[in-house]
Amino acid sequence: MFDGLAAVSQVSLEIAHEETVWLRGWNGSGKTTLLRLIATAISPTFGGGSVLGFDLRTERSAIRARTDLLSHETRLYGDLTAVENLRFACTLYDIDPRLAGPTLERVGLDEVAAVRADRFSQGMRQRLALARCLMRAPALILLDEPYAALDVDARVVVDEMLVTARAGGQTVVVASHEAPPAHLIDREVTMDGGRVVTPTGVAP
Amino acid sequence: MSLRVARAIAAKDLRMEMRGRSAVSTVLPFAVTMLLAFGFALGPDRLLLAQIAPALLWLAALFASVELCHRSYQHEGANGALEGLLLSPVDKGAVYLGKAAAAFVQLIVLLVVTAGIVGVLFGLPVGRAPALLLLTAVLGIAGLSTLGSLLGLLSVRSRTRQAALPVLVLPLVSPVIIAATRATADLTQGTTAGISGWLSLLVAFDAAFLAAGYVVFGHLLED
Repeated sequence: MFDGLAAVSQVSLEIAHEETVWLRGWNGSGKTTLLRLIATAISPTFGGGSVLGFDLRTERSAIRARTDLLSHETRLYGDLTAVENLRFACTLYDIDPRLAGPTLERVGLDEVAAVRADRFSQGMRQRLALARCLMRAPALILLDEPYAALDVDARVVVDEMLVTARAGGQTVVVASHEAPPAHLIDREVTMDGGRVVTPTGVAP
Repeated sequence: MSLRVARAIAAKDLRMEMRGRSAVSTVLPFAVTMLLAFGFALGPDRLLLAQIAPALLWLAALFASVELCHRSYQHEGANGALEGLLLSPVDKGAVYLGKAAAAFVQLIVLLVVTAGIVGVLFGLPVGRAPALLLLTAVLGIAGLSTLGSLLGLLSVRSRTRQAALPVLVLPLVSPVIIAATRATADLTQGTTAGISGWLSLLVAFDAAFLAAGYVVFGHLLED
């Protein structure tokens, strides 16, 4: 609840391991809030749940270690270069920093590895954030409007990430008003007014 | 792992400061302007200026620490990076230690530069008992950076934002400012008799702030 208003209410949603779900709905339907609840960025005022088998209220650290939330807020440091941003993330997530270079190449940012992130366009920042997620390879990936502000090349990177996630047995929730490629989605869930209205729809 | 994270946070903050130069471009001019304003307000009485110079030096350090710690968390909040730290599976106490270490280094540099200015403007003999003065500086700045790095977080998390920071910091840090000012005054006047008491007080407050920060930081970071 935010200032007495329920952003998400009476949501009952079950997502299977290795499933890729498209969470659709209008602006304000509660998609982002639901993703942030799952990622433990915010706490539920009432109720609870289980993410990857861990309790949403009491086992937040375990969830955080296995989950990545990507949104328009890229969590990058503008004064650090692309590669420095990734190396810093490597320390936080205990990843081999030698992965930073190849991952930048994978998202097409290897030529600007030494350029500060504040000189990047929003699309390039999004790609850098995607690179961080690719390095981590978390069990659960939460993508909030991943196609927003991206050019065609960067959209391909998002789609490749969905392919990689599927091949790697990762679970993905894509919150977007824009449809991801149908062959990359197992199921769609529609939200409206903070509630899940069609939990069992089949991807077209 | 925790020390590695603290080191990475401190290195990241210092690297960003080297590039952004917010301390040099804003905090240092602020401290110098404040000293000049006090100097003009108090008039040309050199004896009076020399007597209150230690207090002015530590007041400048205090206000600089408030501004610096606020800016440090402003950088974290800019693109949601603070939330990134929250959601990362690291010891949040280590994040705090890293932030405090980076603030400590920057404030020590600022204090040394400011002390030079105070020495010239107000005739403060900072060359006397340099080792003990340096120890006072280290302990005093440790107090300011450990408390500032904890409460600085509130300046970006709370609804009252930046206004909350000085209101919270000033009462809590008063013992540190008093002890550091008295120790500096005694040392610059060539007195070392009661110095151990002031330094012990600084050590006690530094330890208390550091322990409280390490334990509480993670809770403040949560929503």
